[in-house]
Amino acid sequence: MTATRRNLLKFAGGGAAGALLTPAPWRLITDTALWSENWPGIPRPARGEIRERFTHCTLCPAGCAVRARCVSGQPVSLAGVKPHPLSNGGLCPWGIAGHHLPYHPARLRKGQAQEAMAAAARAIAEGASGEYAAVLDLRPGRTASWTHRRAMAALGNGLYLVPRQPAYSIDLAAARTVVSFGAPLFDGWGTPGNVFGARAHFRLIQIEPVETRTAALADMWLPIRPGTEAAIAAAIAGDLSVADAARLTGIEEEAIGAVWEAAQIGSTVVLAPEPGSPLMSLNERLGALGHTVVARREAPVPDAWKAAAPATEVVAAPDGAIRLLLIDESLPGGYVPWSVIEPKLAANATVIVFSSTAAGYARHAQYTLPAPVYPEAAEDIGPAIDTVAAVFRIAAPLGAPAVPVVNPAEFVAQIAGLPRGDALRERADSIHKTGRGRLLSYRDRMSTLTRELTAEDFWRTLNQGGCWLEEGGQKMAPPGLGAPPAGPAPHGDLPLAVVIVESNRGGLASPLMSKLERESSLRMAANRVVLSPADAQSGGIEDGGRCVLETACGGMDAWATIDPGVPAGVVEVAGGPRMADLCGSSFRARVVRA
Amino acid sequence: MTVPTRRTVRYGMSIDIDKCNGCGACMLACAVENNIPPVPEAANDRKGITWIRVYKVNNHRAYPARRTVFVPVLCQQCGHDAPCAHVCPQQAVDVDPATGIVGQMPERCLGCRYCMVACPYHARYFNWWDPKWPPGMEKTLNPDVAPRMRGVVEKCSFCHGRRHAAQQKAAAAGRREIDGDDYVPACVEACPTGALRFGDLNDASTEVAQDAQRPESFRLLEKLGTEPKIHYRSRRDWVREIANAPRPDGKEGPRG
Repeated sequence: MTATRRNLLKFAGGGAAGALLTPAPWRLITDTALWSENWPGIPRPARGEIRERFTHCTLCPAGCAVRARCVSGQPVSLAGVKPHPLSNGGLCPWGIAGHHLPYHPARLRKGQAQEAMAAAARAIAEGASGEYAAVLDLRPGRTASWTHRRAMAALGNGLYLVPRQPAYSIDLAAARTVVSFGAPLFDGWGTPGNVFGARAHFRLIQIEPVETRTAALADMWLPIRPGTEAAIAAAIAGDLSVADAARLTGIEEEAIGAVWEAAQIGSTVVLAPEPGSPLMSLNERLGALGHTVVARREAPVPDAWKAAAPATEVVAAPDGAIRLLLIDESLPGGYVPWSVIEPKLAANATVIVFSSTAAGYARHAQYTLPAPVYPEAAEDIGPAIDTVAAVFRIAAPLGAPAVPVVNPAEFVAQIAGLPRGDALRERADSIHKTGRGRLLSYRDRMSTLTRELTAEDFWRTLNQGGCWLEEGGQKMAPPGLGAPPAGPAPHGDLPLAVVIVESNRGGLASPLMSKLERESSLRMAANRVVLSPADAQSGGIEDGGRCVLETACGGMDAWATIDPGVPAGVVEVAGGPRMADLCGSSFRARVVRA
Repeated sequence: MTVPTRRTVRYGMSIDIDKCNGCGACMLACAVENNIPPVPEAANDRKGITWIRVYKVNNHRAYPARRTVFVPVLCQQCGHDAPCAHVCPQQAVDVDPATGIVGQMPERCLGCRYCMVACPYHARYFNWWDPKWPPGMEKTLNPDVAPRMRGVVEKCSFCHGRRHAAQQKAAAAGRREIDGDDYVPACVEACPTGALRFGDLNDASTEVAQDAQRPESFRLLEKLGTEPKIHYRSRRDWVREIANAPRPDGKEGPRG
């Protein structure tokens, strides 16, 4: 063969074609892929000693026990603690990804602490007679709450304000029938592990207009007309005939009769979504007080603390009299709409908020100070609504704060001139001194009587994620649960009842929560509303279109979804501080085309 | 002399739909365990990565007859006829004969997405973006699982990192077989309702094997003959019917 240009090209072409039949190009692709996996754009997980640590979640009052897998001291995953008698190994999605919160992009990273302190001192000094300094504590029942109370007592004109709190606990383990008027039993109501642990032993009757997560799993769901809960309650109490209740609620007589029968069997508990709901008074009629509805128990506190300021509901505070308001929003808790707080402020009031995010009350404050987030602060957690025992557990920090933070309790104590001290330690010592109860240690799965431990061992075990419990004892009936429910309130020109179908605790949530919202649509986004076809048509709203949710307190731009599974006269929304501010005390709205 | 042979296991899962409340704890636990990043703001539910995804499914009736259930869907770990393994030109997908787990090797993946087309369960996800976490959050990554690069497909592996850790533990103890308590996928561990169970389908004493034999048990698209190892169960007829996804035109071929 002569070496011509044509032959050379033929040889090169044939060689290239033949190479495709060899493993070489495929090997090249694999090697390229391997190289690309290690390119600098891909983070490499840290390596180091792997250890387990224990703590408690502070993201809601449930305070579930947490087992953290740590690499070189850094938590990389969180899980529940199986043998725990309260949380039963359960964790909610917020708790599972809680170790991401210190690195949240929306975390508040700086604040003017010195200026805030000076402004607070000025407001106290310049306060006129009849004006108050107040702390609004969104998560009462903690040791930090006691510090707030002591500080307010020390000021003389201090008020310790709280959202509406239940004075009772629900003993689900003792219940055989649970009649729930829209309480989100399976979606953030109590301790997830405890609720699901008790689920096999009670029959759940869910009474609410729309099919929520709880209604979907209930043994019986009564889809009543919005605002007619009182009629069913009256029928259960025997104050209204079943026929009349059926006419008012749109539920068949047979179904109401079945609820009435189930409620009379005994071991029944009635639940309402709000702690102060008049529907809770039905428990008294059904003989649940002292049995399934019991007085809330609190862990002992040092005697010196008992002269602290009493808890006052925000609505009970005098109007226009608060000169200095400190809002402890460091932990998500009960949210009080700003429309309730604002009238309580004096004209020249100073508002200081402790928060980890610029959302929430920070929108209304002169100073917002960055608060520590879970799991970087040592905090204790008050009893949950389904915790019958007295309990004391500490959220042991799993790392140092990622940004400079201000501890709300220390700030408030400094304003009031309280002596510096370790309040958690003082309280632990006072509990130990009583000798009551037992201490659970998750690390070695031991349960030890308190009186068998030294004070030092007691404190050390608590800081390693231990939990003090005092069970048993006589069940006490809670204080009066209020008046029986009245009929539906007039709704003026707002034709739709706002029904919250998604719990939202407020505050920061892991960036991975996008898996449940944007990436899967499992949970409803905060800017979405769901309407019936009839209501959408009357408002000229299209499926997937823009709309405005208008309430008595304002409006919100939203995306609309039209769903024939939603009853006419109802708009479904996701809960949270923003919705609470928007609705105020009246959950009525109108949806119009944007 | 007889040489002891390793017992063949067939890992599977049972999911009680009547217990699932759609909280999403399994999805979060999976993302944390397997270093799945949050997607950029522009992404939607079609471009998100959720190795286990809880679907909200209803009976298509209007109010008040509407009923809803939550169905967690993950890789169904098909049998030897796994459609994704058949179509992969790179042999990046295989079915482990020792465990029955359908493995995915992102290092080999070309990103052609044939497997995504072939998978009848929509349980495979493509990395549209480089994995990116908010600054500082990369410190929380699981050291047992390598993050995947942009341009490859990924899916549930029954938490292979946990299986390797359990194998190492067993080997250290001089055992050839994994203790069942040592190997539980993150989603099963996280489920607060106890709806998810995991175990060896070949071992009749396991809960998961017993669940698979219950009369109310079913598998998704069973008529396709893919032999999935995820067994669902529900006492509600309409839920079981939806799982077979009958064609609206009523024309059912030999393979569905």
